[in-house]
Amino acid sequence: MRLTSLIYRGTIVIAYTVMLLPVLLLVVTSFFRDAIIAFPPTGLSLEWYRNALTRDEFLSGFLVSVKVAAIATAIGVPTGTAAAMALVRSRLRFKAAITTFLLGPIIVPGIVAGIALYLSYLAVQNRLDMDIVGTLPGLIAAHVLLTIPWTVRVVISGLQGLDRSVEEAALNLGARPRAVFLRVTLPMMRPAIVAAAMFSFIQSFENLELTLLLVGPGMSTLPIAMMNYLEFQVDPTLAAVATLQIAVIAAMMLITDRYVKLSRIV
Amino acid sequence: MAKLVLPAGLLVLALLGVPMLLMLRYSFNSFDPLYLMKEAFTFGNYARAVVDPYYQKILLTTVAVALASTLLTTLLAYGPAYWLARMEGRWKSKLTILTMFPLLVGGVVRSAGYMALLSSDGLINATLRGLGLITVPLQLLYTPGAVVFATVGIVLPYMILTLASVIESIPRQVEDAAANLGARPGTAFIRVLMPLSLPGVLAGSTLVFILCMNAYATPLLLGGPQFQMMAPAVYDQFARASNWPFGAALAFLLLVVTVALTTLGSSVIARRYKAG
Amino acid sequence: MKSLELVNIRKEYGDAVAVDDMNMTIRKGELVSLLGPSGCGKTTTLRMVAGFVAPSAGSVLIDGRDVTHRPPYERNTALVFQSYALFPHMSVAQNVAFGLEMRRMPRAEREAKSLEALRRVRLDHLAERYPRQLSGGQQQRVALARGLVLNPDVFLLDEPLSNLDAKLRAEVRSEIRGLQQALELTTLMVTHDQEEALTMSDGLVLMAGGRVRQSGSAQDLYERPADAFVADFVGRSNVLEGRVEGGSFRMKDGTALPGTAVPTARYYTLRPEKIALTSPDQGVPGTLREVLYLGAQTEYTVLLGTTPVTVIRATPGPDDTLARLRPGDPVGLRWNSADARLLDS
Ligand SMILES: Nc1ncnc2c1ncn2[C@@H]1O[C@H](COP(=O)(O)OP(=O)(O)O)[C@@H](O)[C@H]1O
Ligand SMILES: [Mg+2]
Repeated sequence: MRLTSLIYRGTIVIAYTVMLLPVLLLVVTSFFRDAIIAFPPTGLSLEWYRNALTRDEFLSGFLVSVKVAAIATAIGVPTGTAAAMALVRSRLRFKAAITTFLLGPIIVPGIVAGIALYLSYLAVQNRLDMDIVGTLPGLIAAHVLLTIPWTVRVVISGLQGLDRSVEEAALNLGARPRAVFLRVTLPMMRPAIVAAAMFSFIQSFENLELTLLLVGPGMSTLPIAMMNYLEFQVDPTLAAVATLQIAVIAAMMLITDRYVKLSRIV
Repeated sequence: MAKLVLPAGLLVLALLGVPMLLMLRYSFNSFDPLYLMKEAFTFGNYARAVVDPYYQKILLTTVAVALASTLLTTLLAYGPAYWLARMEGRWKSKLTILTMFPLLVGGVVRSAGYMALLSSDGLINATLRGLGLITVPLQLLYTPGAVVFATVGIVLPYMILTLASVIESIPRQVEDAAANLGARPGTAFIRVLMPLSLPGVLAGSTLVFILCMNAYATPLLLGGPQFQMMAPAVYDQFARASNWPFGAALAFLLLVVTVALTTLGSSVIARRYKAG
Repeated sequence: MKSLELVNIRKEYGDAVAVDDMNMTIRKGELVSLLGPSGCGKTTTLRMVAGFVAPSAGSVLIDGRDVTHRPPYERNTALVFQSYALFPHMSVAQNVAFGLEMRRMPRAEREAKSLEALRRVRLDHLAERYPRQLSGGQQQRVALARGLVLNPDVFLLDEPLSNLDAKLRAEVRSEIRGLQQALELTTLMVTHDQEEALTMSDGLVLMAGGRVRQSGSAQDLYERPADAFVADFVGRSNVLEGRVEGGSFRMKDGTALPGTAVPTARYYTLRPEKIALTSPDQGVPGTLREVLYLGAQTEYTVLLGTTPVTVIRATPGPDDTLARLRPGDPVGLRWNSADARLLDS
């Protein structure tokens, strides 16, 4: 085998191993009996799943994460899509600058944006005498900073690949601009919009850095609940939580793939 | 039509623009142990952030880890990205899902997975012990190497997906033409595919570099107590020390260094390729 | 059916003039081809008729009514795009019914009409398929049906055959012409292929650089080209440069060509198939340089002085003296002087 082909195959094997092995390991270790994760295990058990399900922080964290991700996606995808349309289609001035601004939340490190938001939330709280840090609206507003830029990014590239003559054909066949948008443009953008929604949801669901300072008692996301647990003990409970999460996510991805071929949208 | 940018634009302005300005203002305030923050206009926080050897070291470590991770990720991602881009039929969809899957699982969970791989009772040490190659476990966890290794694993999917979508847009005939003109696969890669996929490399490595500079869970969980990076250090100023002005200055330092290095990096790479 | 008229129509993009003071009339039920090299403004003209491009000046009249400032969806034109532009997310039947739906036709009626249109292009059996499941030729016919079903005032075709292979092209060509004549559609077809234009049209408009160079029937343009460009673009022509001198035309290399009644001319144009090959003493003498066998016809290149002249004849039988001609042989060229056209530009 030539060196080129050896390197090619080698990097494929290494990359997918490095990416997937830890996920696989967590699933496996979630069934180990020992409290300290060690290979080989002295036996197998489902004890950690019981622990995971009885600890409130994980279930409530999961629910908060799903709620935040779903609502932030519902806000970010329509507004982000509209912005992307304007950026690609309209005769807007300073397009490059506006695009950079809207993608800004991707460029600014999440920990920095999170701190800036935290300080602003506190400033507003002091003036209005209401809680924002540690509330659901506070978390959702923060995560809109993830869903908007990811939507703008994905939808812009989707729109650039769109054949304008298809829309012109609709106009030519007698469709008014509104009908063209609803019947032709929007359906053709569907793959890009679904991809945007998926990426937005992922970004929000797994975010840690932006969220760190914005959670409060009883209002924490799953990644933060897991992080807190990990800082104090490393036992297979976390592996069990992760495995449950992985199962839910895998199911979600397979269902999404039935309706929109994921390979066609990324 | 142009008005459609307004909702998103105003949201980003309110949730990122204004807060950043507020933080900028705070970074010029001074710290008071009793009242925590005092209105002022001083560059003292920035001076301390830049001059204090403790924070110098943290910043340098962060940049070094981010650069190393970005470079390794880019090298490692090309092969898989090409494989994914040129695959056809139903396997392509399966492989795409497999590549996106780790993203959904999240960085915290995967960091925990790397701990199970690298710890003294982890898979690697257990395997080596089982083979009789070692008797004392190797210190893999809580090393800078562990942080880089896990960071690379965590950001790889982003790089592969970004690169693959650019490679996919390069017509296959271009490569065939190179081969037809006598270029061996390695040469064709360096002379044809790499220059053409440069936009993907830039987009991917920029994204990955930012994620690395920003890493919180990985250095904390895999680096151990002695290992310090910027994100946890900045967080500490707010969560534990309550020194907002200094924390704000550190946060801005992190932002400026990140943006400066990504801008510098992209222009250097772009220029080199235009010249070559 | 309605007529189409373009009056002094003009389009500028910045400083560049894409279409320059163009006039054109298509009578009801006629097919006129807009012919010209790439970039000469054909698509721009078509798009002005459909309403996608606003003219810088001039007007578009459909059946005498000025539609220059009407939006595309208020003109009853049907444009078949070069790329077909089918709706990828709709079935063939839904694609064809789209225009009727926009005209608020009840569902049952529009389904019946679209099926009838699909039957006309022999695709009724594929009504439930999606565009990506069709071949190029089938997609083309869906695009045709999608326009036809609306019974448009003006039917517009942008290079309708350019994405088809040679065999399919001939087939679709006669199909389009057949439908156009059966439905008496007023049609404007854009093409850069002169064979397409000559075989399909009632009339031709030849454009170059945004201007109309000549319009008329196929015979007009072929037999009586207005200038050397037309002579060269429509069919093949020997375009020989020189000037009139004492009753004959003298080429740049000094060779004299016979039979001129005009006082001045810069070009002497002659169709290759109007020239006979004879022995050197029976015509203008020259030297055979190349023989190109084309099947039913053979193409000869003959040097008159230093100027190459193309001659096309039916391929000679084995006993014919022509069959023994070899490059380098002396030959004579003879033609009817009425077949030569002397042009000033
Ligand atoms: N939207 C546009 N902006 C600027 N120039 C254009 C535009 N559309 C066409 N042109 C120019 O107008 C000229 C005619 O174009 P077109 O009508 O497409 O030519 P054809 O269809 O005959 O090939 C070309 O030189 C082209 O570059
Ligand atoms: Mg054209």
